[in-house]
Amino acid sequence: MNRESAEKIIGSALAGGRKVLSEYESKRVLKAYDIPVTREVLVHEESEVAPVTADIGYPLVMKVCSAAIAHKTEKGLIRVDIRTDTEALQAFHEIKRGLEDQEGGVLIQEMIKGRRELVMGLTRDDQFGPCVMFGLGGIFTEILRDIVFRRAPLTREDALAMMREIRASGILDAVRGMEAADRERLADMLIGIGQIGIDLGRVREIDLNPVILSGKDPVVVDALIVLS
Amino acid sequence: MQRDKSDPLSVVTRAPDTDYERIFHPKRVAIAGVSPGGGSGFGTLSLLSLQAMGFEGEIFPVNPKGGEITGLKIYRRVEDIPGKLDLVVVVVAAEESAAVLEAGRRKGAAGGIIITSGFSETATPEGVAREEEIRQIAAKGIRVIGPNCFGIYCPRSGLTFIPNPDLSRESGPVAFLSQSGGMASDYTSMGMWMGLRFSKVVSFGNGADLRESELLWYLGDDTETGVISMYVEGIRDGDEFLKALKSAARKKAVVILKGGLSTAGSRAVVSHTASLGGSRVIWESLLRQAGAVQVRDIQEMAQTCLAFAMLPGRVYRGLSVAGGGGALGIVACDTAEVYGLEVPLLQGSVRDQVASYLPKSGASAVNPIDVANPYTPPEILEKIFRVAAQDNRIDLQVLMLLPHHYKTFAGTRRGWRTFPHEELADRLKSVIRETRKPVVLVMTNTKRGLPDLDVVEVHAKARQTFLAKGIPVFDEIGDALRAIANVNRYYGKGETA
Repeated sequence: MNRESAEKIIGSALAGGRKVLSEYESKRVLKAYDIPVTREVLVHEESEVAPVTADIGYPLVMKVCSAAIAHKTEKGLIRVDIRTDTEALQAFHEIKRGLEDQEGGVLIQEMIKGRRELVMGLTRDDQFGPCVMFGLGGIFTEILRDIVFRRAPLTREDALAMMREIRASGILDAVRGMEAADRERLADMLIGIGQIGIDLGRVREIDLNPVILSGKDPVVVDALIVLS
Repeated sequence: MQRDKSDPLSVVTRAPDTDYERIFHPKRVAIAGVSPGGGSGFGTLSLLSLQAMGFEGEIFPVNPKGGEITGLKIYRRVEDIPGKLDLVVVVVAAEESAAVLEAGRRKGAAGGIIITSGFSETATPEGVAREEEIRQIAAKGIRVIGPNCFGIYCPRSGLTFIPNPDLSRESGPVAFLSQSGGMASDYTSMGMWMGLRFSKVVSFGNGADLRESELLWYLGDDTETGVISMYVEGIRDGDEFLKALKSAARKKAVVILKGGLSTAGSRAVVSHTASLGGSRVIWESLLRQAGAVQVRDIQEMAQTCLAFAMLPGRVYRGLSVAGGGGALGIVACDTAEVYGLEVPLLQGSVRDQVASYLPKSGASAVNPIDVANPYTPPEILEKIFRVAAQDNRIDLQVLMLLPHHYKTFAGTRRGWRTFPHEELADRLKSVIRETRKPVVLVMTNTKRGLPDLDVVEVHAKARQTFLAKGIPVFDEIGDALRAIANVNRYYGKGETA
């Protein structure tokens, strides 16, 4: 865990007058707390694209990364399943154009394959302070609202209880040929999110959606951190 | 909002030196604000309620005009009362309350109950200032309940709420905390006929001094209290509340009715997590995290406390369900499944024995047990229950009684004039004692209109008889099974249903 590096990222955003961290920044904060995120590199120039794609390897996802643009999908600034250098360059230019004059770059990240999407997050309740969320992710988060909260800091038992409490808890079991999720790793992540809430008072909200189960391993695929 | 450590309101002292004994069981009580001419003010009503309850301690009515009331001398000032006080009940005007409280403190009172309203609940600067004044006096050593409250009901001492001079003097294991006086009054009144008996009930109104967290710490350690129920709207300090709740819930069941869940937070929200984390889902999750049992309404709270108070503390998974009617049993099984309870088929030999007590046709011994007859004699029910308990998958037995049918059949069988509840209660009690498996009664009265007040009366009498023998009674099968499921939620922590 590296609290200082997380504080630095938040400090520089605040210094720049920003209340929202970009996806890239958000994930660096998560990484500082040992929360597994997608392998990814932020690029700004065309020349950077080829070495990065070679390093991460296809298939890839490329998306706009700008604190000013929170809803990438709605803006159409996300390309998935990129499999060739040509596709990668084309995606780079399209996303760059979509950025217009706003600050930001293009995030090149590994494409996580998995059919099970979870959500994790943090909110600050007026009465109870930082509370960690866990539930069913992706488009189901808002439709089914199958979520539970625990007040930070979380014990391991709290984290494991959250996984049992959602109605769809069976999704974490070995089901339809998919491996059982690594519940201990999920618990580490939830405890880590709670710790961010305790350590970093300026973090107002965290939204990790989706967290995809790649086999048994959870990986944060998209992340948003809101500051106060 | 971060908790400000320098804010005195956010620091809740546990005050181990608070003399709760003298607050709940006072020997010398002043009531400031009685009306010399009698009248029906709250001060006079406080006095009359206390006298109607048979409060054994000394009562000192106070009014500047002096005089006499119900045979007691009225003192002009609290200061004039001879000797020490244990408790001062403040029913004077809001602007005079602080002075009376202070006088009580100087008289050595351990506690003050301020019934009067006109404090922070008015949201006026004067009201807020008055409450702050109360808090400052409290900080000097007198613990305050209120203002704007109904006070304390404590059967052992005879303290009661103003509108409840008719509550029982019989103590029991159930405690109740509530900001709302109306809720405290309704809940205890309801508890009387349902079979709840109370240790301590506190309506603390604005909660200027003593309130939810500190009282939870106290009740958690109170040997008179076996189960704590609470009605909660706002809390002063989330951190302290959860600590107190967690600690209390480790020692005894805490049943919480949380009001005000539907008011959505009004602050601006950016992320999905924050918008999903409205007050309802956060409260539900955190109450579970603290080990409390959350209920949806006052009825469920009372029924759940009845189950906690009357059933030995453990998980009840397998049930036998018996009643006179097939559909009754089927619906009971469906409801059981909803609450994570099982109604297992009875084993061969047990089933055969149960069947041997049943009519040859129209009955069923598989569980649910259909006795095929709403007026099955108590001795037959006793035999059936004794045998069914031998099945080791049965943890608890439910009997669905239909006493309203006895009206129709009164006189047709061996001279019964009414439903033989006393005989049945005795027989079931002996079954419970021998089998060590509780029996829960469900008595649904389908006849509650004016022409059937005699049936209503039979029900009330039967309920009283069963409760007196230690057998819990519920109106509906759903109420009973939900209450049992709540008991399981508490004792089966960490288990999945």
